[in-house]
Amino acid sequence: MAATLTATAPARPRKLLASRKTRVGILYALPVVVYLLVLFVYPIFSTLLLSLKDADGSFTLHWYADALTGVNLSVLFTTLRISAETAVLSLVFGFVLAQAISRLKPLWAGLAMLVVVVPHFVSALVRTYGWIIMLGDKGLVNETLAWAPGAPYSLLYNELGVVIGTTSMMLPYTVLLLYGVMRGVDRRLLAAAASMGAGRVTIFRRIYLPLVSPGLASAGLLSFILSLGYYITPALMGGPNQTMIATLINQQVTKENQWNGAAAQGVILLVLTLAGLLLVKAVSSLGASRKKRSAS
Amino acid sequence: MMELRSTLAGRIVLTAVATVILLFLALPIVVILVTSFSNNAFASFPPDTWTLNWYKALFADGSKWPAALSLSALVAAISTVFSLIIGVTAATALVRSELPLRSAVFALVLGPLLIPQIVTALGLFLLFEPAAMLGSPLAIALGHTVLASPIAVLILIATLRGIDERLEDAAASMGAGRLTIARKITFPLAAPGMIAAAIFSFITSFDEFYISQFLSSVDTVTLPVRVYNSLTFDIDPSVTAISAILIAFAILALGLVALVRWLGSGRQESLLSVENTVGVANPAGETV
Repeated sequence: MAATLTATAPARPRKLLASRKTRVGILYALPVVVYLLVLFVYPIFSTLLLSLKDADGSFTLHWYADALTGVNLSVLFTTLRISAETAVLSLVFGFVLAQAISRLKPLWAGLAMLVVVVPHFVSALVRTYGWIIMLGDKGLVNETLAWAPGAPYSLLYNELGVVIGTTSMMLPYTVLLLYGVMRGVDRRLLAAAASMGAGRVTIFRRIYLPLVSPGLASAGLLSFILSLGYYITPALMGGPNQTMIATLINQQVTKENQWNGAAAQGVILLVLTLAGLLLVKAVSSLGASRKKRSAS
Repeated sequence: MMELRSTLAGRIVLTAVATVILLFLALPIVVILVTSFSNNAFASFPPDTWTLNWYKALFADGSKWPAALSLSALVAAISTVFSLIIGVTAATALVRSELPLRSAVFALVLGPLLIPQIVTALGLFLLFEPAAMLGSPLAIALGHTVLASPIAVLILIATLRGIDERLEDAAASMGAGRLTIARKITFPLAAPGMIAAAIFSFITSFDEFYISQFLSSVDTVTLPVRVYNSLTFDIDPSVTAISAILIAFAILALGLVALVRWLGSGRQESLLSVENTVGVANPAGETV
């Protein structure tokens, strides 16, 4: 990002102009930097401090010990499990949909993309409510499947309900990311492989998949990360066994006044997210180098 | 996927599966829109009889929705103003100047979009609680701006990058001052992007839930928090109507962004091409 943003280095006679441009840049960057330092970085920093502070103000790690034992630990595992399930499903569905859209004629592709993008801008709360109406015992899904054995199915207030909900929230991200990746694949490479006698399966496995797999990995990781902090859908569509870490943070702050514990869980969530983001970065630089190699 | 490619059966299967996934995305929204006119909001689908009662109930006496709606609108308006100020200055700094630590500033801007919102909300709660600012619309707006301003910055970065700097250089070479250039060239060209940034900031704040929930008090409850409470504690059928309104609002906002983009798309070309310059100089349209 930095490399593309930086303008070409100014020549020596323009040095005066350049220093003026630097001053203007710093001046204009001030509002955003100050704002986010005060209302974003500092609050997170004080969350970190609070998670390390005992009731009497001394240093302690026992909030973390609490957060990583007993019920809290199982909530953490539930969070990881639901996020993983969501990531896998939104990756698979996203792959199929992006694949189908990338074959459509521009008009149809545009319309399909509209169906992908518009829900993303509708409040997650509202979409979750839509799922609750649809998945109930007398909802659209069970009415439609009334002929099937075992109907009505219980699709709500269990893990299936939560994963259906979170997957539909993450799907726009994966579809858009994968669509971009698929359009970026150099079709000539596939044609070259075909001309040398490679079969469809071979081309898919040896050429196509290696080219799109970094994109697949980042899309999956991203939906995993974004699911970690999810609260609305698990709280409204899940049962007691689907309590996620964000629900716990919310409960401790609003009901139990237990800020230190909430802070420790927030920091754990933050660390998991940052680790995921580092992985995304590693994967995408791997992808860039792979692309370069295959093109040469 | 690939091996299915050219066979007819494969194509049909792929299309069918893709259609199901698209329905998976669209149906929750369609169902709400339909149910909001249904006589029996929580029973069967599709509805047997139709009604406007839920919409009427929204604005009936003693309804708690108008207060939530106006609070959310107020908060979103304040947040939009802050986001635009931050967005315009930050985008200018990032695109049009020599900024030291540029990538660090950019990472800072992306931060709120990547960090779980519940963590940001918790931090803001710890900031505003000691200041006794819980329930203050200003505090909620300040909090929302943390999430909305990065979106505004990203949109305005794209906008500024799309403006041909030669236009500004040309104006400068003809003796236009900095203010004149900003007013006559940059601002008109950036206006569609600024409107888009404003609309997205507004929606972001209007729909925001986590920060609102942590910063709200009993008296000041934003619309999403009210919807959430209504879904968890006191089931109120008019929540379908308010949800439908929120959907209509989102679609309207997206449509507006598309319209503004479309109207603005011709501007730069008209300034750059010679034929049109004649048209500008000769507004009556009588070509030489």
